Amino acid sequence: MIIILSAITGTLCSALLACIPGLHVYNVMAVIIIALYSFQLTVPPEILIPCAMSMMVGYSMLNTIPSVIFAAPDESSVFTVLPGQKYLMTGRGFEGVIITAAGGLTGLFILLFIIGPTAPFVLPVMQSVIRPHVHWILWCIICFMLMSEWPKTGRLGQGGWRKFLNSCKTTSAGLLTFLLSGLLGFILIYKSPIPVNSSFQNLMPAFIGLFTMPWLILNIISNVRIPPQQFSTNMDRTAIAKGTAAGALGGMFSAFIPVVTAGVGGFLAGHATAIRDDRAFLTSQGTSKLIYYTGTLLFFFLPNLTMTRGGAAWMISGIYTTSSSYYDYYIALASVAISGCTAFLLVGPITRYIITFTTKYGFHNISIISLSIAAIFVITITGWIGLLITLTATAIGLIPVLYGSRRMNCLGIILLPIACNMSGLGQPIAKILGLL
Amino acid sequence: MKGISHFTVGIAAASCFPEAVNTAMTGNPLYFILGGVFGLLPDTIDFKFSRFFYKHDIEVIPDPNKPDPGMIANIVAHAVNTAHATGKHIRIKLNTIPVGPDLWQQYKVTFDTAAHEVIVSYGPVMDMNGIPAHDTRNKKMPEACATLHCDVKLDYQATTKIDILDGPVFEMIPADKHFVIPRFIPWHRQWSHSLIMGLLTALTGGAIWGPLAALVIFSAYTAHIALDQTGFMGSNICWPFRINRVEGLKVVHSNNASANFTTVWLACIITFWNLYRASTFVLPDLNFIKLLSYTVFMPFGLYAIFRNRIYLQRFVSAKIRLIKNKIHVKNTR
Repeated sequence: MIIILSAITGTLCSALLACIPGLHVYNVMAVIIIALYSFQLTVPPEILIPCAMSMMVGYSMLNTIPSVIFAAPDESSVFTVLPGQKYLMTGRGFEGVIITAAGGLTGLFILLFIIGPTAPFVLPVMQSVIRPHVHWILWCIICFMLMSEWPKTGRLGQGGWRKFLNSCKTTSAGLLTFLLSGLLGFILIYKSPIPVNSSFQNLMPAFIGLFTMPWLILNIISNVRIPPQQFSTNMDRTAIAKGTAAGALGGMFSAFIPVVTAGVGGFLAGHATAIRDDRAFLTSQGTSKLIYYTGTLLFFFLPNLTMTRGGAAWMISGIYTTSSSYYDYYIALASVAISGCTAFLLVGPITRYIITFTTKYGFHNISIISLSIAAIFVITITGWIGLLITLTATAIGLIPVLYGSRRMNCLGIILLPIACNMSGLGQPIAKILGLL
Repeated sequence: MKGISHFTVGIAAASCFPEAVNTAMTGNPLYFILGGVFGLLPDTIDFKFSRFFYKHDIEVIPDPNKPDPGMIANIVAHAVNTAHATGKHIRIKLNTIPVGPDLWQQYKVTFDTAAHEVIVSYGPVMDMNGIPAHDTRNKKMPEACATLHCDVKLDYQATTKIDILDGPVFEMIPADKHFVIPRFIPWHRQWSHSLIMGLLTALTGGAIWGPLAALVIFSAYTAHIALDQTGFMGSNICWPFRINRVEGLKVVHSNNASANFTTVWLACIITFWNLYRASTFVLPDLNFIKLLSYTVFMPFGLYAIFRNRIYLQRFVSAKIRLIKNKIHVKNTR
């Protein structure tokens, strides 16, 4: 009973949090964990595990709403914004959210019935084999990301240098975004200007600046008006099946390989399975996101594995040691089942309410409010210096928006420094940059 | 094949060298990066460089506001006829038709070899993903044709769809007195997809990073060419000794989703096996065939059964009916 109640409470909390643009589940978890740590409180696993798991499940299922309706994504849902906006601007925002949530639901089933039971047997093997090779996997992902950026300009005119240089605009913007965000990542990791008491939120202002702010600014400047919205859905079984398959692969990959987020996992799996349909793409992102967020924390509770992936697992590892039996793992799986179903049932009503709210108060005003909430949140947690970092990151995050390159390049903020660190290049580069 | 297929096959090729795996285990990612990058390099050269330097004689820019398939058909026919009449190569660039920030008007160019015609027909408006933005199945779309004064021998497919981003170039090659070959995107899979280029890049890489790098680069590069050869277009493998592409094996289309996914998956399994062999972790009784059975044969077999379940049901019910009939005949006798 305690487990069920804790799981439902966690889901309801995350449902509320997920709808506030710029607020990440990791930020709230960090505040809770610091409070527990400061007051020397110990929470039994029957409350801690369901609460933590359900917050992750609820967030990953419900944060589709701000991504699609407000265009205010986090680093893992950044890919859902463009197709989500397309749905919103054709009066089908509700459908866009429901399709992504359906992807989340299929991801939940895959997690419960395939990954959950097989992980104890497969993951130890995978971890033993792949652990020494993670660094080159990251480098290869970086190379593929940069090499697969498609030139979108230079269509017309006679072939020659002028046409070639014109075509380089998109690819150069992508490379510049990656390098600048990587540089920002180096600064934040090696010589962060964030005060020590807020250091647990070191990357948060940059993430908000890179991923959330640019879209909101664009919405405010372009003064977009959303058309009347329909509350019907048109689900296609084939698209859902294709999206689920791609999302499951992407989610598993990102949950297993450190630093790789659900967006990147989904992007790679989308390339591998040649997904083109928007419905399949949104489904895949929903599946990938749920498996990534939930999987990273779920694997932490696997006994004898010592696999700490993702912010939540790192934070919980500071206050909790997993037991050597499967007790924790089973509690975690049960919590995932309860909170996943609860969160899915909440998606429809919350989306309806938010769409009605947005239509009533106007998309432009909502974007201003969202931007203000995100800015206030940054200032409250990290102070004015945090806001300065957010502004810097926003400038970088605006490059892909203005030049039409991939927004995923902003992930250079974590990919580049971590890949450098894993290959032993981090410290020498930091020294050259004057950060040590 | 798609970029990710070439990239993962390049990585798999690198993993086949035990020294590369051992080096990676010590923290040096060089050989795997080289494998991936040089596995994708031939297409990068084509689509990010060659394409933009390729000159054309005629450029078709259709008006987004006035659909005119007749104009396009006439110009394409003019290019073919001029090539035939003058004996010169004529290069024609057919541009895409952007009709919105993320919308493109599709049109198709068909070489009807039997009727000696070029047929141009407008299709649906497509989004960036190449998916129709509106349902136009019952709508009459503009269509036109123009007459060709010679035979046309196809180099690739008879119909080319032109929709998103950049349009294709056709090089009209007068082959002899009677026919012209319309070569599709003649800048693609030429010198960049040749064994000589693979060798040159490998030698350059070897001079910079050592002999193992040369081997990795050459394997990844040639794996790319071999993989492309399974498609329809083929590659100019023997450049500079040959000027035309060698026709592909026509096993799969390069953008076929299942073929690309299978390639990526197989490449990942091969890479995993090579990493496993180099690790200290030992699973009793695991061999490559078993690994393939669990990760390829079983899931793909189940998928094939699922995909063909209707035929399978029909087959099984037909067999049951046959057996029942036999029993019935036996009993009546």
